[in-house]
Amino acid sequence: MNAQRLLALLVAIIISVPLLFPDGQSVSLVNAILIWSIFAIGFDLVFGVAGMLSFGHAAFFGVGAYTLSLLTMRMGWDFIPSLGAAGVVGGAVALLFSYFAIRVSGLFFALLTLALSQLIYIMAGTKLRMLTGGVDGIAGVPRPDLFGIDFYDDGNYYFFLLALFILALLISGLIRISPLGQALKAIKSNEVRAEQIGFNVQRLQRSVFTISGIYAGISGGLLASLIFYVGPQMLHWSTSGDIVIMVLLGGMGTLFGPILGVAIFEIMREWLSTQTSHWYGILGLVFIICTIGMPKGIAGLVTQLWDRITPGGKS
Amino acid sequence: MGMLLFLLAAGLTLIFGMLRVINFAHGSLYMLGAYLAFQVVNVTGIFWAGLIAAPIIAAVVGALMERIALRPVYNRDHVYQLLLTFGFILVIDEAVRILWGLEYKQMYPPELLSGAIEMFGSSVPSYRLFIIGFGAAVSAALFFMLDRSRYGMIIRAASGDPEMVRTLGINVSLVRTGVFSFGAGLAALGGAAAGPLFPIELGMGFNIIIDSFIVVIIGGLGNIRGAVMAALLIGMTRALGYSYAPSWVDFLTFILLIGTLILRPEGLFSRKGRTA
Repeated sequence: MNAQRLLALLVAIIISVPLLFPDGQSVSLVNAILIWSIFAIGFDLVFGVAGMLSFGHAAFFGVGAYTLSLLTMRMGWDFIPSLGAAGVVGGAVALLFSYFAIRVSGLFFALLTLALSQLIYIMAGTKLRMLTGGVDGIAGVPRPDLFGIDFYDDGNYYFFLLALFILALLISGLIRISPLGQALKAIKSNEVRAEQIGFNVQRLQRSVFTISGIYAGISGGLLASLIFYVGPQMLHWSTSGDIVIMVLLGGMGTLFGPILGVAIFEIMREWLSTQTSHWYGILGLVFIICTIGMPKGIAGLVTQLWDRITPGGKS
Repeated sequence: MGMLLFLLAAGLTLIFGMLRVINFAHGSLYMLGAYLAFQVVNVTGIFWAGLIAAPIIAAVVGALMERIALRPVYNRDHVYQLLLTFGFILVIDEAVRILWGLEYKQMYPPELLSGAIEMFGSSVPSYRLFIIGFGAAVSAALFFMLDRSRYGMIIRAASGDPEMVRTLGINVSLVRTGVFSFGAGLAALGGAAAGPLFPIELGMGFNIIIDSFIVVIIGGLGNIRGAVMAALLIGMTRALGYSYAPSWVDFLTFILLIGTLILRPEGLFSRKGRTA
């Protein structure tokens, strides 16, 4: 339990950086970390809690981004309802996916979600080009307009994102300790037994997948507004890969681990891309080493270290 | 196209059947094969040298991947193995980018096969015919090896019950390395053979891996016969699609996939039950 607190402290330090160093670069970096964290928190509900490896989350993320962009820019909606709609659409696409993908489990599930999200990617690039702007994407995505605060200033936008981030964290924490979360953990550790006990396994999996889609949709919309742009890259399956790397790097199945993973990933991207143009390859190496060496991620490492420092206080 | 898909899918499904690993990096090995073949042809000027050398080098790369990275995680959840191979995509792609840069590379078929042949009233490039014959020969050899030879017997036995095979005095982990490296070689062979057909570029692995996954799922994971049928099915669907509804080609394969999963969720399996 103490290790959990230590993790929470680490996360709190990272996200409070803009308060201490209010220069432009670190603020925009932390803003990106907050947004990807919302995505990662939602992804971990499926991956870490329910034990389903999805390689299709880019679809929900990208669809959310397009929804927000189109509603605000073409339909003249306000930002907040558009953000809500991004979540709803992300969740709806996830629900649709789940009808196909939950028929199978394990590796098949990963492959099917991958194939389905790639279908969306292809569709956005070809059939829906009128709507999505094809490869060019849509530029000029707005930020919220609330209480007369200028959210185009990254420092102000930080507080808006922080509020959403805390909300997302809170909801995820509640889901984890709720009966739904407990049932999902049961399914993860033994699907057959969970079904025998009387859980409707597929319905539970479908619910958590949809919730995770809502998270992804909202974070996609937020990212589009952060960088003022949405493009098909957000739908591409390498985005799904990124989120898997982040969550695994940080520690799947923990509340704060994924956020740490996001932070490390983004800081590495920021730092390495100024040092070398080969940062993705280095990331791959780091990822391989981490997968072999520390399957529980940074969160697992922290817990281990903590137990070593306090031999008596093993939780 | 169908035959190339088969070469990839055969390697994928062989690796899965033996190691229970879905090799995400298979597309990258395919790409690596194309680049290697390009390099060898450039240096030696002989097409066949590239076609032979590329799979051998890729097989060595595959063996190293298996030895160094995959071996430590066999007893963990299968998800970790999949993630590891995903990490290899990033590494291999980066290596290719460093070695060969970003430009497109072009390879030409050997002089012997650079012409075209009149068939059924239309002219078919003879290199394409060669690919079809070549793929058929490779698949025949593969079947022969798996079904008739002693090595095939060991592979099938080791995927069924590794413990028992180990007890019988066969080095199972060596068999695993062999199968992985063989699958990697098949992917590179596909890449080398595809070299003269398509421009060689960094994205080529990304593009084909999804199609080969679809082939493998439709055929049934670990089922090589299924993979042949599914590769042909996908190839034919694409070919027909291009002539009747070109803008829907990409969707047709997905419709096939979804249809298969609705009718037979585990793919068009011919053998039932899990192995290993």
